Amino acid sequence: MKLSHHLLWLTASTLFAQGTTPDMLLKPPKDSWPAYHGDYSGRRHSALTQINPQNVGGLTLAWAYQTGANAQIKASPILVDGVIYFSTPDNVYAVDARSGHQVWHYTYPPNKGFHIGSRGVSMYGEWLYFMTPDAHLVCLNAKDGTVRWNVAVADSQRGYWTSMSPLIVRNHVLVGVSGDFDNLTGFIKSVDPETGKTQWRWDSTPPSGTPNATTGGMTWMTGTYDPESDTVFWGTGNPTPVLNGDNRPGDDPDTCSIVAIDPNTGKKKWAFQPSPHDTHDWDAVEIPVLVNADFHGAPRKMLMQASRNGYFFVLDRLTGESLVTTPFGPVNWSSGLDQKRQPIPNPAKNPAQDGRLVAPDEGGLTNYRSPSFDPKTGLFIVSAHPSYGIYFTKPADGTFGWAGADYGVWGKGVLQAIDYQTGKTVWTHELGPNSAGAGVLTTESGLLFTGDAQGSVLALRTSDGKTLWHAGQGQSMQSSPITYELDGRQYVLTSGGGVMFAWALPE
Amino acid sequence: MTVCRSIVRVSAVLLVSAALSLAQSPTASKPVQTFPSDLVKAGESFFVQQCAFCHGRDTGGGEDGPDLTRSKLVADDVNGNQIGPVVRNGRNNMPRFSVTEQDLAALGAFIHTQKNLAESQNGKRKGVDVTDLATGSVEKGKQYFSGAGGCARCHSPTGDLAGVATRNAGLKLFQRLMYPRGAKARMTVTLPSGETVTGTRAYVDEFTVALRDESGRYRSWPLAKVSVRVDDPAEAHVDLLAKYTDDDIHNLMAYLLTLK
Repeated sequence: MKLSHHLLWLTASTLFAQGTTPDMLLKPPKDSWPAYHGDYSGRRHSALTQINPQNVGGLTLAWAYQTGANAQIKASPILVDGVIYFSTPDNVYAVDARSGHQVWHYTYPPNKGFHIGSRGVSMYGEWLYFMTPDAHLVCLNAKDGTVRWNVAVADSQRGYWTSMSPLIVRNHVLVGVSGDFDNLTGFIKSVDPETGKTQWRWDSTPPSGTPNATTGGMTWMTGTYDPESDTVFWGTGNPTPVLNGDNRPGDDPDTCSIVAIDPNTGKKKWAFQPSPHDTHDWDAVEIPVLVNADFHGAPRKMLMQASRNGYFFVLDRLTGESLVTTPFGPVNWSSGLDQKRQPIPNPAKNPAQDGRLVAPDEGGLTNYRSPSFDPKTGLFIVSAHPSYGIYFTKPADGTFGWAGADYGVWGKGVLQAIDYQTGKTVWTHELGPNSAGAGVLTTESGLLFTGDAQGSVLALRTSDGKTLWHAGQGQSMQSSPITYELDGRQYVLTSGGGVMFAWALPE
Repeated sequence: MTVCRSIVRVSAVLLVSAALSLAQSPTASKPVQTFPSDLVKAGESFFVQQCAFCHGRDTGGGEDGPDLTRSKLVADDVNGNQIGPVVRNGRNNMPRFSVTEQDLAALGAFIHTQKNLAESQNGKRKGVDVTDLATGSVEKGKQYFSGAGGCARCHSPTGDLAGVATRNAGLKLFQRLMYPRGAKARMTVTLPSGETVTGTRAYVDEFTVALRDESGRYRSWPLAKVSVRVDDPAEAHVDLLAKYTDDDIHNLMAYLLTLK
């Protein structure tokens, strides 16, 4: 019985294997997780219900895949046609989603870029798109990991590097860049998936050397997409020089911002700035989560972000208007809100020669790993890092790149469930010292999956944060979990260090 | 920003003991270490790829990682004997790295060369100097210590804090006055039998608790099966973080700097 079922699937997969299609990206089937967020909304919420609060206590290891490498997995894996694809710097792995067996492993040539992380690969048809530490975009054949083409998206000699997973919208491969250690312009580039040629480029800041203007605004995380309004939403990073803002007066527009972009042209529709004139490295690149729901009794198309600077924002995503602006933990750097309900930075908390005690610390109240929105409970769930840091800058630190120094003083990890209509935290779940940092996945059965600071993967009840299952992974999760169902069995994928774990109910 | 957190507590304890022993070694009289240029170049290549994001391309500090040119540990390092264990075990937010002896030699050559370079920049050196931190009022710091800060409830300038400014260099003292990372917590665990075990907290998560008992033995229990009492002196520092003004911490620093 089992064998015939297996044969049936083999036939089906051979017949229909075709990589991703635009329809699949719009409505991912349950046997796939075809893009960074799963679907375009960034909610990291799954309709799967086989694993539920009643049976999750029996969750067990289905398989583990060991990269055998130093690099920690920071990628959100994708799954298409029964194969999982994920990356670490210079490496792409293709792994059988049923068994954890390696299908192929691609290694990019040695290079001098920053090897700080790789958030994952993206897929268009049967092609994969992988970004490298030296700021190249490599197109690989998903069947065997062979290189189709390799283009530079930015000049790594000038200080750019890349780590993000591109966002695929129709025939646009949207890529972003990193580079805080030099005064560089941030940008989003749209690349032709077939040829690697640039279709358009949107710059977040003017060219380096423009008087009284900022540089920076790096675009180092995957955006989200609203098909109905045909708009891409993207977070931008901090201005540069980072800790010294004297040479870039004013708000430093489109840095530390959420921008709405037309994917056909790269034209900006609107921008909202969580941190005007940032001097604390608080990139606003955290996932802009798209939700259609009631807001105080009326249906709204919203965008929600728990931002690194400590504020939770709910925006009307058609206009960029703020509906909610409120801190979700200790924040001491703002003197109020401006007319757009953007926080106003308090100059007394700018880095100084003798140091300023600032909440949150430079890592922020949250960072790049995904939050999740659970539609049933209306809870926005984020792995938070209440923290304090000390910030310095002095003339000898200059006006290039980092331009100062900062040190974490204290912090901890707390999972927080936020009511999006008020911004108030409904429940919290302590995750341990320093910070946990793992992403969050919710499922329709009322479960959420995340990781704590010490290396456990946790399954909690979404409604109240109660722990229902846990397992030690040996190292803390530095990625965001995904889930999928194959052959009638639901799997949850988590990572710890350089190992990918697949969890399922016993067969 | 990313981390290997499971080793935080153990490494923090190591860090404190390392810092204390290093504070007593006179580093100024040490001869300047020099290295072959190809080794330095190899070290730079490794450093840029794996270390520069946190420690800066020039080793002078980056995203949250300390300025290695001012690190006491680096100052005391000879042939990787100090740097090596930290690279291989990680500490605080720093992940561990598998490195060959060759990598380590190259890394050390680059870091020491950068340190020499930074120290040659008289008057224009970037980073945090002790003099940068001395902007507060000793008198107000003393008042805060005995009054509003409540520090005197646990600390004494002639007791545990006697010589604290000698034991801790400027920035380290500033950081530790705000939060004494690695401070030991006492723990008493009551077992289902009613037996109690006391010792130093070794590990706590949501499911497991562990201590090192008086004999130095590591013992752990499922948290759900025991009751635990913790006396963590560092917790009072966390409560103060939300109350401090920047003047308070600078005044306190000025006062502590007098406790030599």
